[in-house]
Amino acid sequence: MTQQTRLAMYKAGDDLPPLAKTITQEKIGRYADASGDHNPLHTDPEFAASTQFGGTVAHGMLVLAYLSEMLTSAFGERWVDGGRMKARFRAPARPGDTVTATGRVTRVDDGTVRCAAECRNQAGEVLISADVEVPA
Amino acid sequence: MQTLANLVKGHEFPATEFELTSGWVGGYMAAVEDRALAASRPDAVPPMAIAALSIRALLERAGLPPGAIHVGQELAFRRAVSVGQRLSVAARVASRGERAGWVLMGVDLSVAVGKDEVMSARAVVTFPAAEGAA
Repeated sequence: MTQQTRLAMYKAGDDLPPLAKTITQEKIGRYADASGDHNPLHTDPEFAASTQFGGTVAHGMLVLAYLSEMLTSAFGERWVDGGRMKARFRAPARPGDTVTATGRVTRVDDGTVRCAAECRNQAGEVLISADVEVPA
Repeated sequence: MQTLANLVKGHEFPATEFELTSGWVGGYMAAVEDRALAASRPDAVPPMAIAALSIRALLERAGLPPGAIHVGQELAFRRAVSVGQRLSVAARVASRGERAGWVLMGVDLSVAVGKDEVMSARAVVTFPAAEGAA
Protein backbone atom coordinates (compact mmCIF):
# COMPACT_ATOMS: atom_id res chain seq x y z
CA MET A 1 0.00 0.00 0.00
CA THR A 2 1.40 3.41 -0.94
CA GLN A 3 1.65 6.25 1.54
CA GLN A 4 -0.86 8.28 -0.47
CA THR A 5 -3.29 5.38 -0.28
CA ARG A 6 -2.77 5.02 3.45
CA LEU A 7 -3.35 8.73 4.01
CA ALA A 8 -6.44 8.74 1.85
CA MET A 9 -7.82 5.89 3.94
CA TYR A 10 -7.59 7.71 7.24
CA LYS A 11 -10.68 9.40 8.57
CA ALA A 12 -11.70 10.82 11.93
CA GLY A 13 -12.03 8.09 14.53
CA ASP A 14 -9.54 5.71 12.91
CA ASP A 15 -6.95 4.11 15.14
CA LEU A 16 -3.33 4.04 13.98
CA PRO A 17 -1.46 0.72 14.17
CA PRO A 18 0.01 0.53 17.71
CA LEU A 19 3.65 -0.13 18.52
CA ALA A 20 4.93 -1.81 21.72
CA LYS A 21 8.49 -1.82 23.02
CA THR A 22 10.18 -2.78 26.26
CA ILE A 23 12.43 -0.32 28.08
CA THR A 24 15.69 -1.71 29.45
CA GLN A 25 18.48 -0.10 31.43
CA GLU A 26 20.79 -1.00 28.57
CA LYS A 27 18.69 0.97 26.10
CA ILE A 28 18.59 3.90 28.51
CA GLY A 29 22.37 3.80 28.75
CA ARG A 30 22.71 3.75 24.98
CA TYR A 31 20.35 6.70 24.67
CA ALA A 32 22.37 8.58 27.29
CA ASP A 33 25.49 8.04 25.18
CA ALA A 34 23.76 9.19 21.99
CA SER A 35 22.06 12.24 23.47
CA GLY A 36 24.82 13.23 25.85
CA ASP A 37 22.29 13.31 28.69
CA HIS A 38 24.01 11.35 31.43
CA ASN A 39 21.79 12.64 34.23
CA PRO A 40 22.28 10.02 36.99
CA LEU A 41 18.51 9.84 37.31
CA HIS A 42 18.70 7.87 34.07
CA THR A 43 21.96 6.03 34.44
CA ASP A 44 22.82 5.52 38.13
CA PRO A 45 20.45 3.09 39.90
CA GLU A 46 21.89 3.87 43.33
CA PHE A 47 21.47 7.62 42.92
CA ALA A 48 18.07 7.28 41.28
CA ALA A 49 16.85 5.10 44.18
CA SER A 50 17.40 8.06 46.50
CA THR A 51 15.19 10.38 44.46
CA GLN A 52 11.44 10.87 44.34
CA PHE A 53 11.36 8.42 41.43
CA GLY A 54 12.76 5.54 43.50
CA GLY A 55 14.84 4.22 40.61
CA THR A 56 16.11 5.05 37.16
CA VAL A 57 13.73 6.36 34.55
CA ALA A 58 14.03 6.54 30.77
CA HIS A 59 14.72 9.78 28.97
CA GLY A 60 11.45 11.28 27.83
CA MET A 61 12.90 11.64 24.34
CA LEU A 62 13.61 7.89 24.19
CA VAL A 63 9.96 7.13 24.85
CA LEU A 64 8.94 9.88 22.43
CA ALA A 65 11.04 8.12 19.77
CA TYR A 66 8.64 5.16 20.05
CA LEU A 67 5.73 7.49 19.34
CA SER A 68 7.57 8.84 16.32
CA GLU A 69 8.30 5.32 15.08
CA MET A 70 4.59 4.49 15.34
CA LEU A 71 3.82 7.62 13.30
CA THR A 72 6.45 6.73 10.70
CA SER A 73 4.85 3.31 10.34
CA ALA A 74 1.42 4.89 9.99
CA PHE A 75 2.24 7.81 7.69
CA GLY A 76 5.59 6.96 6.12
CA GLU A 77 7.58 9.82 4.65
CA ARG A 78 4.73 12.28 5.23
CA TRP A 79 5.59 12.18 8.91
CA VAL A 80 9.30 12.52 8.31
CA ASP A 81 8.99 15.28 5.71
CA GLY A 82 6.43 17.53 7.33
CA GLY A 83 5.04 16.11 10.57
CA ARG A 84 4.50 18.24 13.66
CA MET A 85 4.00 17.16 17.25
CA LYS A 86 3.33 18.84 20.57
CA ALA A 87 4.02 16.38 23.38
CA ARG A 88 3.66 16.47 27.13
CA PHE A 89 5.66 14.14 29.36
CA ARG A 90 3.21 13.02 32.04
CA ALA A 91 4.90 10.15 33.85
CA PRO A 92 8.26 8.38 33.66
CA ALA A 93 8.96 5.06 31.97
CA ARG A 94 11.13 2.65 33.92
CA PRO A 95 13.36 -0.29 33.01
CA GLY A 96 11.14 -3.31 32.48
CA ASP A 97 8.16 -1.27 31.34
CA THR A 98 6.43 -2.20 28.12
CA VAL A 99 5.52 1.04 26.38
CA THR A 100 2.71 1.02 23.84
CA ALA A 101 2.39 3.94 21.43
CA THR A 102 -1.06 4.51 19.99
CA GLY A 103 -2.86 7.18 18.00
CA ARG A 104 -6.31 8.10 16.78
CA VAL A 105 -7.25 10.40 13.92
CA THR A 106 -9.27 13.29 15.30
CA ARG A 107 -9.78 15.33 12.13
CA VAL A 108 -8.86 15.43 8.47
CA ASP A 109 -9.08 18.87 6.91
CA ASP A 110 -7.14 21.53 5.03
CA GLY A 111 -4.73 18.95 3.74
CA THR A 112 -3.79 17.86 7.23
CA VAL A 113 -4.41 14.70 9.23
CA ARG A 114 -4.70 15.56 12.93
CA CYS A 115 -4.24 12.87 15.58
CA ALA A 116 -4.21 12.42 19.32
CA ALA A 117 -1.36 10.12 20.26
CA GLU A 118 -0.01 8.74 23.49
CA CYS A 119 2.33 6.27 25.12
CA ARG A 120 1.14 4.12 28.02
CA ASN A 121 2.91 1.59 30.20
CA GLN A 122 1.69 -1.94 30.87
CA ALA A 123 -0.46 -0.63 33.75
CA GLY A 124 -2.28 1.73 31.40
CA GLU A 125 -0.66 4.83 32.88
CA VAL A 126 -0.24 7.64 30.34
CA LEU A 127 3.45 8.47 29.97
CA ILE A 128 3.20 10.88 27.05
CA SER A 129 0.28 12.56 25.35
CA ALA A 130 0.68 14.41 22.07
CA ASP A 131 -1.16 16.36 19.42
CA VAL A 132 0.07 15.42 15.97
CA GLU A 133 -0.33 16.93 12.51
CA VAL A 134 0.70 15.20 9.30
CA PRO A 135 0.35 16.71 5.81
CA ALA A 136 -2.05 14.72 3.66
CA MET B 1 30.04 24.65 32.53
CA GLN B 2 27.00 26.85 32.98
CA THR B 3 23.55 25.33 33.39
CA LEU B 4 20.19 26.35 32.02
CA ALA B 5 19.47 27.82 35.45
CA ASN B 6 21.87 30.68 34.76
CA LEU B 7 20.32 31.72 31.49
CA VAL B 8 17.83 34.49 30.87
CA LYS B 9 15.10 34.79 28.26
CA GLY B 10 16.62 35.70 24.92
CA HIS B 11 19.95 34.00 25.58
CA GLU B 12 21.34 32.63 22.33
CA PHE B 13 23.58 29.60 22.39
CA PRO B 14 26.64 29.61 20.13
CA ALA B 15 25.90 27.71 16.93
CA THR B 16 27.09 24.12 16.95
CA GLU B 17 27.85 21.82 14.04
CA PHE B 18 27.72 18.05 13.96
CA GLU B 19 28.42 15.45 11.34
CA LEU B 20 25.84 12.70 11.33
CA THR B 21 28.44 9.93 11.47
CA SER B 22 27.60 6.29 10.96
CA GLY B 23 29.02 5.61 14.43
CA TRP B 24 26.69 8.09 16.13
CA VAL B 25 23.69 6.92 14.12
CA GLY B 26 24.54 3.31 14.98
CA GLY B 27 24.59 4.17 18.67
CA TYR B 28 21.27 5.98 18.40
CA MET B 29 19.68 3.11 16.48
CA ALA B 30 20.92 0.63 19.09
CA ALA B 31 19.07 2.66 21.72
CA VAL B 32 15.74 3.19 19.97
CA GLU B 33 15.65 0.29 17.48
CA ASP B 34 13.59 2.36 15.02
CA ARG B 35 13.55 0.58 11.65
CA ALA B 36 10.31 2.11 10.37
CA LEU B 37 12.05 4.07 7.61
CA ALA B 38 14.41 1.28 6.59
CA ALA B 39 12.20 -0.14 3.82
CA SER B 40 11.28 3.09 2.04
CA ARG B 41 14.27 5.31 2.82
CA PRO B 42 17.25 3.12 3.78
CA ASP B 43 19.59 6.12 3.61
CA ALA B 44 17.54 8.27 5.99
CA VAL B 45 17.87 8.36 9.76
CA PRO B 46 14.78 8.48 12.01
CA PRO B 47 13.61 12.06 12.55
CA MET B 48 13.91 11.74 16.31
CA ALA B 49 17.64 11.21 15.81
CA ILE B 50 17.84 14.85 14.74
CA ALA B 51 15.97 15.80 17.89
CA ALA B 52 18.38 13.79 20.03
CA LEU B 53 21.32 15.44 18.34
CA SER B 54 19.89 18.90 18.94
CA ILE B 55 19.46 18.11 22.62
CA ARG B 56 23.04 16.93 22.69
CA ALA B 57 24.16 20.22 21.19
CA LEU B 58 22.23 22.08 23.85
CA LEU B 59 23.65 20.03 26.72
CA GLU B 60 27.18 20.59 25.48
CA ARG B 61 26.60 24.32 25.97
CA ALA B 62 24.59 24.31 29.18
CA GLY B 63 23.95 21.42 31.54
CA LEU B 64 20.66 20.60 33.17
CA PRO B 65 20.30 21.99 36.70
CA PRO B 66 19.85 19.45 39.51
CA GLY B 67 16.26 18.36 39.73
CA ALA B 68 15.45 19.40 36.17
CA ILE B 69 12.51 17.66 34.51
CA HIS B 70 11.74 17.63 30.79
CA VAL B 71 8.02 18.35 30.76
CA GLY B 72 7.20 19.05 27.12
CA GLN B 73 8.50 18.88 23.60
CA GLU B 74 7.34 20.42 20.34
CA LEU B 75 8.79 19.17 17.07
CA ALA B 76 8.37 20.07 13.42
CA PHE B 77 10.14 17.94 10.85
CA ARG B 78 10.81 19.47 7.42
CA ARG B 79 12.70 16.67 5.70
CA ALA B 80 14.75 13.58 6.40
CA VAL B 81 18.52 13.63 6.73
CA SER B 82 21.08 10.97 5.89
CA VAL B 83 24.24 9.57 7.39
CA GLY B 84 27.23 11.72 6.54
CA GLN B 85 25.36 15.02 6.39
CA ARG B 86 26.58 17.94 8.44
CA LEU B 87 24.00 19.59 10.67
CA SER B 88 24.09 22.97 12.37
CA VAL B 89 22.13 23.59 15.53
CA ALA B 90 20.97 27.00 16.75
CA ALA B 91 19.22 27.47 20.09
CA ARG B 92 17.88 30.27 22.23
CA VAL B 93 15.98 30.62 25.49
CA ALA B 94 12.50 31.52 24.25
CA SER B 95 10.73 31.81 27.58
CA ARG B 96 11.47 31.76 31.29
CA GLY B 97 8.92 32.06 34.06
CA GLU B 98 8.75 31.22 37.72
CA ARG B 99 5.90 29.88 39.78
CA ALA B 100 5.65 28.21 43.16
CA GLY B 101 9.39 27.86 43.46
CA TRP B 102 9.92 26.30 40.05
CA VAL B 103 11.32 27.80 36.86
CA LEU B 104 9.61 26.87 33.60
CA MET B 105 11.89 27.41 30.62
CA GLY B 106 11.32 26.97 26.89
CA VAL B 107 14.28 26.56 24.59
CA ASP B 108 13.84 26.89 20.84
CA LEU B 109 16.05 24.78 18.61
CA SER B 110 16.62 24.87 14.87
CA VAL B 111 18.58 22.26 12.97
CA ALA B 112 19.71 22.92 9.40
CA VAL B 113 21.67 21.32 6.60
CA GLY B 114 23.40 24.25 5.01
CA LYS B 115 20.74 26.96 4.91
CA ASP B 116 17.82 24.53 4.80
CA GLU B 117 16.09 23.96 8.11
CA VAL B 118 15.34 20.26 8.59
CA MET B 119 13.78 20.43 12.06
CA SER B 120 12.59 23.01 14.55
CA ALA B 121 11.70 22.29 18.13
CA ARG B 122 10.89 23.71 21.52
CA ALA B 123 11.99 21.86 24.64
CA VAL B 124 10.23 22.79 27.89
CA VAL B 125 12.01 22.04 31.14
CA THR B 126 11.32 22.87 34.74
CA PHE B 127 13.71 23.01 37.68
CA PRO B 128 13.79 24.34 41.23
CA ALA B 129 14.04 28.13 41.29
CA ALA B 130 16.63 28.00 44.02
CA GLU B 131 19.07 26.64 41.46
CA GLY B 132 18.64 29.68 39.25
CA ALA B 133 20.97 32.66 39.36
CA ALA B 134 19.27 34.63 36.61
